Amino acid sequence: MSGTGRVYMQQATSGNRAPGMPVIAADGLTKVFGKLTAVDRLSFEVMEGEVFGLLGPNGAGKTTVIRMLASLILPTEGRATVGGHDVRKEGEKVRQAIGVLTENPSLYERLTAYENLEFYAEAYGMTGDAKRGRIRHLLESFDLWQRRDSRVATFSKGMKQKLAIARAMVHSPSILLLDEPTTGLDPESAKEIKDMIGDLSRQGGTILLSTHRLGDAEKLCSRAMIIAKGRCIVIGSPEELGDMASPPVLRIGLRGPPGKIAEAARQVPGVRGVAADGSALLVTSEGRDLEELAPEVVKGVVLAGGAVSSVSISRPTLEEAYLKLMGGRIGDA
Amino acid sequence: MPRLGRAFLVFKKDWREISRNWQIMAPIFTVPLVFAIVIPAVMVFIPNITSGSNAIDNLQGLENFLGPLSEEIRGMTGRQVMVYVMTLYFFAPLFLIIPIMASSVIASDSFAGEKERKTIEALLTTPLSDSELILGKIAVSFVPAMVTTVIAFALYSAVVDVLALPLFGRLLLPNFSWLLLIFGLAPTVSLAAIGLTIAISARVKGFREAQQISGLLLLPVLALVFGQISGAIIFGPLVLAGMIAVFALVDAAAFYLGLRSFRREEILIRSA
Repeated sequence: MSGTGRVYMQQATSGNRAPGMPVIAADGLTKVFGKLTAVDRLSFEVMEGEVFGLLGPNGAGKTTVIRMLASLILPTEGRATVGGHDVRKEGEKVRQAIGVLTENPSLYERLTAYENLEFYAEAYGMTGDAKRGRIRHLLESFDLWQRRDSRVATFSKGMKQKLAIARAMVHSPSILLLDEPTTGLDPESAKEIKDMIGDLSRQGGTILLSTHRLGDAEKLCSRAMIIAKGRCIVIGSPEELGDMASPPVLRIGLRGPPGKIAEAARQVPGVRGVAADGSALLVTSEGRDLEELAPEVVKGVVLAGGAVSSVSISRPTLEEAYLKLMGGRIGDA
Repeated sequence: MPRLGRAFLVFKKDWREISRNWQIMAPIFTVPLVFAIVIPAVMVFIPNITSGSNAIDNLQGLENFLGPLSEEIRGMTGRQVMVYVMTLYFFAPLFLIIPIMASSVIASDSFAGEKERKTIEALLTTPLSDSELILGKIAVSFVPAMVTTVIAFALYSAVVDVLALPLFGRLLLPNFSWLLLIFGLAPTVSLAAIGLTIAISARVKGFREAQQISGLLLLPVLALVFGQISGAIIFGPLVLAGMIAVFALVDAAAFYLGLRSFRREEILIRSA
């Protein structure tokens, strides 16, 4: 498998949603188990073709959210629709519309790879050539066709995970709920899975990705929600989350000490602060997009006699943003 | 209403898994073999048990048991009485162990085993309804158990008749009581075992736990054996018909409880 765009989605269907409506919509979603509030008034929307990350530490409530969206467990309060179907009232329609990768691969180890996919394909109502063709297509896409008649018990962890994802996609759902798809995999297998998720997204699939691998989320997700103790901490694109954690910084490398050049940079409208870092200037913006501001600042520096050797904008990684936004919550969650 | 085709999918998938698991298949093959062939063969080939004065001695103490059968055994020799009561009456309640054991072993694996192996969550994410899932799993527990029971009965009849033909000049099996036992009581007992196993499986995490608890089902069988030895009951057509009716009620109650406990949310939470 490569990241060059294998075809996983045969067709995307929008269910009974009106155009422009979110594919997944949760409003005040809450789940209480006894005295434990596992999910606490979560509201979010996932649009068509989006890879939406659900981030949080172990026990944050990510799996419970996925189970509610898959209509496996009912919300205690609030509502959610998936593919236009109400998770409370239309469980079978919701499950028909989605593919779910569960936290464990959940494969029948005494059955072969083909038999596993065949059972699930038939459970979704597929028959005949359409079923056989889809199974073959998926097994070939995941490089498992040669092992189709081997029992799953003989598979490596990475092969099992790939087969589990193939199972989630066997009925060509347009919505995928993936719970920790790369956990426990070696780097090569993890990369294959990430490439595949990227391909799926490009082919129009809508993906809710639950993970605590922040590097994966940063690479794959267009937006993400960080949750802790079942509560939403923040929602946004990886860039927005980074900006919320700490502002981006324009770094201008100079051939020589900054000296008075820093003052020239400070005079540019929109600059909030300028600091020297060795032979570089670190510039922050006051309300203006740093990409827009950068040429003006560089021009000011050059006019002031500065010899510019490099210009870059640095943002905190999603991991840095996550750790900052979560603060002390991680240990509590 | 469950769609039978979809319930059959569950049946087919579970049977593929179960038939490749020797831990399940071994007891399903060996227990009937013991009851259908080994024990009656011992009676046939070890004459001391069923011949001569020893046979009469062996019947001492069973007066209460033989009393109600006095009409049936009138004029029989000691050996004939011994073979007659042992093969047609004494083994009848013991034979119920076969459907109980087979159905509860398979049902434990199908319900609790699926939770234990953590395959249940993916199964529950399919659009198969609760009733389709449960019907498929009941069928995969019931059908092999009944097939095993009927095959065991056929073998048992053959072994018994090999003994009976020279001794009585006629075949003893099948007779009406045993047909009622195999095709009336065994299915209702098997369904009761499945219903109880489903209810137990919903509350335990593993296959072994479910199997051990459902082993309690053998206690009523032992009660029937001792009840017959003491003369309290005799496995005649009337008693069998009454027991079929009682077990039909037990089935209804067990399935009511089993179906109530088969809830996606409960299963997921308890398997966590």
